[in-house]
Amino acid sequence: MNILRALVCPVLLCAALIGATMSPVMADPIEIEHERGILQLDTPAKQVATINWSFTESVIALGLDPVAIADPQDYVDWVAKPDLPESFVDLGPRASPNLEALRAAKPDLIITVPDIGMAYEKLAEIAPVLELKLFDGKRPAFETAREVFGKIARATGRETQAQAYLDTVDQKLIEYGKRVKTAIGPDQKINVVFFFDESNVGIFADTSLPGSVMTAMDVPVAYDGEVNKWGFGRGGLEILAPYAKETLVYTTPVPEVILNKLLNSPIWKVMDFSRNNRVYELPVVWAYGGVPSALRFARLLTETIESGPQQ
Amino acid sequence: MSTAAARNADLRGTLSLPAILTGILGILTLVVLVIDFWPYLANGNITQALFSPDETDFEQILFHFSTLPRLAMAFLCGAGLALAGAAIQTVLRNPLASPTTLGVGAGVEFALTLFVLLAPASLAMFQEAFALAGGLIALGAVYLIAANRGNATLWLILAGMIVNLLLQSGSQIILLFNEQYLQSIFMWGAGDLAQNGWEDTQFVWPRVLMCMIAILALSRPLDLLALGDDTAGSLGAKVTVLRLLILGLAVFITASVISAAGMIGFVGLAIPAALRIAGLSRSRDLMIYSVFTGGFALLIVDFVVRQFNGLGGDPLPTGAATALFGAPFIIFMLRKARIMPGNQNDDQHSDQQIISKTALSIALAVSLVIGVVFSLFVSLDGDGFVILGWQDSSLDILIGRSERTFAAMICGAALAVSGTLIQRVGRNPLASPEITGVSSATALAMILALAIFGFGQRAELMAIGAAGGIASLLVLLALCRKFTHAPHYMLLNGLAMTAILGAMVRIVLTQSGTQTSMLMSWLAGTTYFTSMDEVMIVAGITGALLILAIALRRPLELASLGTDQSVSLGLGISGFQFAMMLLAAILAASATLLVGPLSFVGLMAPHLARVAGYRLAGGHLLGAVLIGVNVMMVAEWLARNMIYPAQLPTGLIAALIGTGYFLILAIRKR
Repeated sequence: MNILRALVCPVLLCAALIGATMSPVMADPIEIEHERGILQLDTPAKQVATINWSFTESVIALGLDPVAIADPQDYVDWVAKPDLPESFVDLGPRASPNLEALRAAKPDLIITVPDIGMAYEKLAEIAPVLELKLFDGKRPAFETAREVFGKIARATGRETQAQAYLDTVDQKLIEYGKRVKTAIGPDQKINVVFFFDESNVGIFADTSLPGSVMTAMDVPVAYDGEVNKWGFGRGGLEILAPYAKETLVYTTPVPEVILNKLLNSPIWKVMDFSRNNRVYELPVVWAYGGVPSALRFARLLTETIESGPQQ
Repeated sequence: MSTAAARNADLRGTLSLPAILTGILGILTLVVLVIDFWPYLANGNITQALFSPDETDFEQILFHFSTLPRLAMAFLCGAGLALAGAAIQTVLRNPLASPTTLGVGAGVEFALTLFVLLAPASLAMFQEAFALAGGLIALGAVYLIAANRGNATLWLILAGMIVNLLLQSGSQIILLFNEQYLQSIFMWGAGDLAQNGWEDTQFVWPRVLMCMIAILALSRPLDLLALGDDTAGSLGAKVTVLRLLILGLAVFITASVISAAGMIGFVGLAIPAALRIAGLSRSRDLMIYSVFTGGFALLIVDFVVRQFNGLGGDPLPTGAATALFGAPFIIFMLRKARIMPGNQNDDQHSDQQIISKTALSIALAVSLVIGVVFSLFVSLDGDGFVILGWQDSSLDILIGRSERTFAAMICGAALAVSGTLIQRVGRNPLASPEITGVSSATALAMILALAIFGFGQRAELMAIGAAGGIASLLVLLALCRKFTHAPHYMLLNGLAMTAILGAMVRIVLTQSGTQTSMLMSWLAGTTYFTSMDEVMIVAGITGALLILAIALRRPLELASLGTDQSVSLGLGISGFQFAMMLLAAILAASATLLVGPLSFVGLMAPHLARVAGYRLAGGHLLGAVLIGVNVMMVAEWLARNMIYPAQLPTGLIAALIGTGYFLILAIRKR
């Protein structure tokens, strides 16, 4: 059957080429650089399938409803906003999107991440694939997210909307940044942490999405230790000790059992931030997302800090 | 000569080596303690730091609420697990038994994963009982499968592997549906000793201490047990009750430790086994030594691990580290353990033919054809059955389905041939391809390449995996060259390799973020990523090797009847057996490259074929292939359609079918 395809494809390709040369009115193809070279699209994509939440939210923010989405249930719990469209095809888990469901959704563009690069060929048989890297461990995640947002906008022919959105984001971030700094005072830095379990925490540095957004807001990031690809450091609670004088914000959702144990542990209680009431709980926001999540993070951080610490 | 005199002689002869071992570990422990305590010893505020830390001094708080409880937990967990291991080894009279090898750990872990993720908070108080039940049920299942077999030692280990695999599949299914919490669960699952208070210590110490006292009190009767049921029975001990009581206590210790600290592998196996090798034979001595040696050993390992974690970056879980230290130890132990080849008479009961072989073969072939057609044209879409009609995309859908269905079937065939060869040459009906360790090594190479070195392309991964498989074959050859009972050592080397893989996988999974769930489904065996070209290549290899094996059916017959006297006479491993094991390993590696390290098909298909009456080598091979292909075809369809649009790894379904089969077999036997 592969042989069949091998025979048919060149024929179709030739036909397409002849067709293309015979219609001079056609616009130049859209070219987008991605992990597999340059993707060419003749027309902007209308039917987009998203394999990663960061792309899902970006496409929605650009005013286009994705036709197929991976892991929509967990999206609701972990990304929360923007809302998913009324109807779309559920692709199942992000690590192994259902190929038959994807095919049935008839996408004209699939946006995916290199993490499931092993499935690239299979996806490419269904529709053109845009494989975009979100984290590389060196570049600030917000910068990458902006670039990815731009590429998605180009692929879907919404560059004007994207520019407008990004302008609003820049403007908002500066405004939020000023508000946060007023609320916490000029000398305070902020630590954004999340809890693995009752004794292990992750702590975002300036290359992570929350960290790089804070940098853009001109809010100082406290943590400057070693980090992994996603820009966070990880360890026992003692990893927080050098930054105990700063303000601490933890992300949700966290299972209640873990949160209770952790907030009542002696080491937590002795830290300067919990003694002097500088602990804040952030509502649900996706810390590994795209530009919309970045903006949402900035807004929630500002509102959380302005409404005062825990307890 | 009086017994007392004999014992004295015994004491003088044997106590020295274990005592030296424990002494060295004790001194190292002291060094660890001095290093940890030094800042306070030097300052002279050690009593304050120990008992009532200064609330304003963070270092003291950290010492009091993190370092100290971590030391205590490491000692308690090590001591508890080593004692549990010693008790289980003595009761079952099996030097390779332990909480990890007999599925107890996996049972507790499965129960806890289930409980933590699914039970409502109001049931939290039943968590411990639930974990304990999980451990006991797992041990019970292992015992049930292995009971009344001719060669209890080997059967227990193999049954333990089956149950371990099943429970791991179970845990994985649950985890695949709770992706977001994977990191936390894996951290705990990998045995994490990080503490931030005395809560866990307070949970563990009364339980472990109570059980220790109880087990030590029962250790005199244990010595009677060690003499064998007949002797102990005639001496008046209520053997069964005593056995169950001690096993129950050992499982309780394991459950408590795992609840608090997660899986800490190999302490329970390696410590008592090492002490036994060092010359301890009486159970009371063995247990007392195990408590201290185990405690010291884990404390020292944890100290080393802490030094790595202090450097920042991702923490290394202690439990996974112990498995890395412990697994090579099994290989060393093989030189000491006395494990004799099993014999085929074990399965006499099932050798009556159920139906005629011809009828069965035809039935299997027919079901194969119908099954393939069904697999390709019928699917579930969440509402009900859908029959593929004729549209533009139908051809592409058919190609997609056939890639996956054929990949599963070819794997079934490759593993069936591999398993038949291993079971025949190894003369053990419970042996299977994955325990040669070749598939584990192949998988390990691919995982390291993917998660640590960042190779993402399938072609690269295949090449690296193949290299890993070949390297492990060479290691296997080197290790087995000197052994006389090579097939069995090969199997147990495989056990160690599988354990090392398990440890590495746990470490990688705690650190690889969003790739984790993809790795997990691949590890469980998925056809998601296969392409038709790969299927064709593996099909070619499998076909060629199957024909070769059938051509060699006569010598294979002789080898499996045990007429090859040279083996039992210790004259070295026969070249033929060796070649057959190699063939089996190549097949297992090819199957792993195609869909991941699948379990069970290679174990179940040949076994079922023989039970169904395919007794001669040639028929056995063909029968196993027919069964393997059928089973994998069914598993593949279920995996793709059961919970649409999500898809389970095919290997998980195959594992569930396989374990179900063995449990039914075990129960029917009674």
